[in-house]
Amino acid sequence: MKKKLTFKNFSIYFDQYLFISITLLSVMGLFFLYSASQGDINTVIKQSIFVGFGLFLMFILSQPDPDFYKIFSSLFIILAVLLMFATMIFGREVNGAKRWLNFGFFTLQTSEIIKIALPIFLASYLYNKPLPISLKHTFITLALICFVFYLVYSQPDLGTGLVVFMAGIYILFLAGLSWKFIFTSFGLIVLSMPFLWNNFLEPFQRQRILTFIDPSSDPFGSSWNITQSKIAIGSGGMSGKGYQEGSQAHLNFLPEAETDFIFAVIAEEFGFIGICVLLSFFFFILLRCIYLAFNARDRFCRLTIGGLSLVFASTLFINLGMVVGIIPVVGMPMPFISKGGSSLLSFYISFGIIISMATHKKLMQK
Amino acid sequence: MIDLNERYAEKKSFFNRLVVVYVFFGFVFSFFLYQTYSLQVSEYKDYETAAIANKTKEVLVQPVRGIIYDRSGKIIVNNVPTYDLIVKASLIKNIDAFLSDLSPIIELDSNELDYVRENFDLKARYNRELIVKKNLSREEIAKFEVRGYKFPNAFIDVRYSRYNNYPELFSHAVGYVGGVNNDELASILNSQALPQIETIFKYSNGFQIGKTGLESTYDQILRGKFGKKIFEVDARGRFVEEREFIKPTNGENLFTTLDIEAQQVAYDQMGNRRGAVVAIEIDSGSIVSYVSTPSFSTNAISNGISSRAFNALIQDNDKPFFDRASQGRYSPASTIKPAIALFGIENNIIDWDFSMEDPGYFILPEDQRVYRGWRKGGHGNVNLNKAMIVSSNTFFFSLAYKSDINKLIEHLSNFGFGSEVCADCFNPDKALLPTPEWKMNNLNFGWFKGDTVNLGVGQGYLSATPLQLAYYSTVLANKGTSKELSFIHERQDIKNLNIQLNNTDDLDWKRLHQSMIGVIESPIGTAKRLQELKTYTVAAKSGTVELVSTDTKEDYKIIRENEGNRDHAIIIAFGPMPNPKYAVSVVIENGESGGSVAGPVAIAVLNSLVGK
Repeated sequence: MKKKLTFKNFSIYFDQYLFISITLLSVMGLFFLYSASQGDINTVIKQSIFVGFGLFLMFILSQPDPDFYKIFSSLFIILAVLLMFATMIFGREVNGAKRWLNFGFFTLQTSEIIKIALPIFLASYLYNKPLPISLKHTFITLALICFVFYLVYSQPDLGTGLVVFMAGIYILFLAGLSWKFIFTSFGLIVLSMPFLWNNFLEPFQRQRILTFIDPSSDPFGSSWNITQSKIAIGSGGMSGKGYQEGSQAHLNFLPEAETDFIFAVIAEEFGFIGICVLLSFFFFILLRCIYLAFNARDRFCRLTIGGLSLVFASTLFINLGMVVGIIPVVGMPMPFISKGGSSLLSFYISFGIIISMATHKKLMQK
Repeated sequence: MIDLNERYAEKKSFFNRLVVVYVFFGFVFSFFLYQTYSLQVSEYKDYETAAIANKTKEVLVQPVRGIIYDRSGKIIVNNVPTYDLIVKASLIKNIDAFLSDLSPIIELDSNELDYVRENFDLKARYNRELIVKKNLSREEIAKFEVRGYKFPNAFIDVRYSRYNNYPELFSHAVGYVGGVNNDELASILNSQALPQIETIFKYSNGFQIGKTGLESTYDQILRGKFGKKIFEVDARGRFVEEREFIKPTNGENLFTTLDIEAQQVAYDQMGNRRGAVVAIEIDSGSIVSYVSTPSFSTNAISNGISSRAFNALIQDNDKPFFDRASQGRYSPASTIKPAIALFGIENNIIDWDFSMEDPGYFILPEDQRVYRGWRKGGHGNVNLNKAMIVSSNTFFFSLAYKSDINKLIEHLSNFGFGSEVCADCFNPDKALLPTPEWKMNNLNFGWFKGDTVNLGVGQGYLSATPLQLAYYSTVLANKGTSKELSFIHERQDIKNLNIQLNNTDDLDWKRLHQSMIGVIESPIGTAKRLQELKTYTVAAKSGTVELVSTDTKEDYKIIRENEGNRDHAIIIAFGPMPNPKYAVSVVIENGESGGSVAGPVAIAVLNSLVGK
């Protein structure tokens, strides 16, 4: 139940279901991270600070009226795009990718900002457009989505790029994109697949996809991660090996155990039962988001809640699909669980905005 | 602003679309859950096994090789622990830099440097350890302990060296050991039902298997069985903890019939001459002495030799690696005569009373070809006894002439010619007992009567190894019965071989022995010079192998200028008579005289054995 606690002169906007489930998830995340980092308490302390700060941000961002986000959405996206450009110029290069801006005390992954700014801006752009969305507005929206996707993709960061792209498409779709347009463009995309394959994928990405289709073609190269991840998950069995007892994680067979592959650590140590319990929290959060979207006060709020929650769900499913080997490795954290800075905070920010959209009611509503 | 209807339509559309997306997500999620379920529940066993295989490494633990003893219990070959400086070759980038860093601490001589440089690449490629220096002194160990931190990829550890106490004496009999190659190791591990583990190379370090001689023949017994240490390792293969230790079964010791003293005598007697000595204990058929000269040090071969030193051995014209005792083919020459004599008696061609004139040559009636004896003018009237003592060629040419070749071949094969006579010798040669079929197939010529005549004096195509001659000597000494030769007593598979001679009784054997005693004891015997060398009676038959056929002594004097053209000296002997215990054969290449050159060697070996 969403709540508006009214004090003398001001109200506090708060959704206890989301707040409690996200807090529990974050605490479990810390608990898993301690094992995944092989008992490195420093990692856990650092992560706790992010979690604490994240929860605080979530609370703060729940407070402004949705109109605040609607009004400033253009400003947000301009800022986000400027940050992307800044990254391109001043960014710190790691492994051939420029994704981070260094602010001294904090390095910011700027694509995480745009991942939030784009859906909000699109919601504010489309909320008053008549149904179905006209071709003109569709193209303007698509142009913006593609532009932002390209910015992220060129860092290069295909994984986040895809999530950003999907975020945009979700809003467009939920806002009432015409079905005719959907089917026509779907047909065109299928036809242009070979062209995309040849011109937009880096050789290593093509290799990943090929390896994914036929893992035996490359037993110790790109698919090493997946093989080890599957062994970790599979060897966990029904009830798991026990906390901190996962040999795959603790003997370093599992790559990226603290970040992308933390799910494999959990699956190894807590088994099928453990992950079902864990995933029920995510399931609950998503259900809650659907409920909130339906009960939102207007179309802008609905679109924003729908868009941001779908971004969250997509991130989760990409991560899970990657870890169990049903989609190629793209590099995607598990929300609220994986170790991270910007990426972790972005989810608290999203949910802060979702809560704001859900809890503020227009008094003049019929 | 949108009106109420439109607001409602919009809300409905949003709802439908959100449901579409979530239904899609639901499918994705179901697929994910199905995948996870099959990984964790359906295929759990496979992945559990894979996870265990990931973190488990098996390390083979080497058994210690068995010790080889002589027949009196003295150690011939032992394992000596040495402290060796070992490097992990695959982790060293520049071996020359490593060696120059090392030189102030541990000095390597040029042989050792050669060995390291030659073997570095191979060891690095297969991730094997490379022994840089063996047998470090206490001082070197102390120096390395102090400055070892500079060499993270080098360490000092105990390794067992195979050490032969008589490295040159037993080089062919006992043989040497060497590093195991991949195929050999694979088959050893197979035989022990050990897995062909990925780290096979790393842990086979220093494992040696028998390459020649008894080390090879009895390798299975000597080498023992691998033990296993099972470790938990991390992804980089680093040791985490030990899980299980199955101790190796050390190799069994081998108690041979070899006699160190007799071996030493034989070796010393041979000096720097090329040839072979084989001595047999007659009752048991056991080999007590087995020498092939020149020899080499098995310790150098077993424990690492530089290729320079190795090439020198390989290129030596005297062929020290060649095992003359079981692989050298020599015409038996006159030593064949006792067997021919027995054939004559068995087939009623001659008896002990038969006599004939020996003019010094035999003329083949078919083509008037002349076959000469060794003494110009011949030996006058000779009977079988005298023909043996003076080694009359004419008598045996004539006897062979009257013989049926096929029967004669069968007869000779009973004495071990052309067949395997040893149960556990390393790679013995069967030499050649020629048959008409063999000649037709190999030389494209029919069998001539002259070939049979030549066979009568052990010349021509017939050849035998010193080992076969020793066996032949044993059969003669034991009056036709013998056992397959062997280096150990307890073998279960030893064959008893009895020759059934018709028309031949114990008296014939005694007379044959008597004639062979006469070879030494008679004043006209071909080996009469040996009389003074012993205090008991010995039966013998000497032989001189003609390498180049000459008609006169003058011609021979010319060809003997080239040492390689000189006759081989050969003798078989057994004693003490009348109840012989030991039989011996000696071959000395280009030694010229069987009686006076090979003879003293045979007598010296018998002396050392009989004296006990």
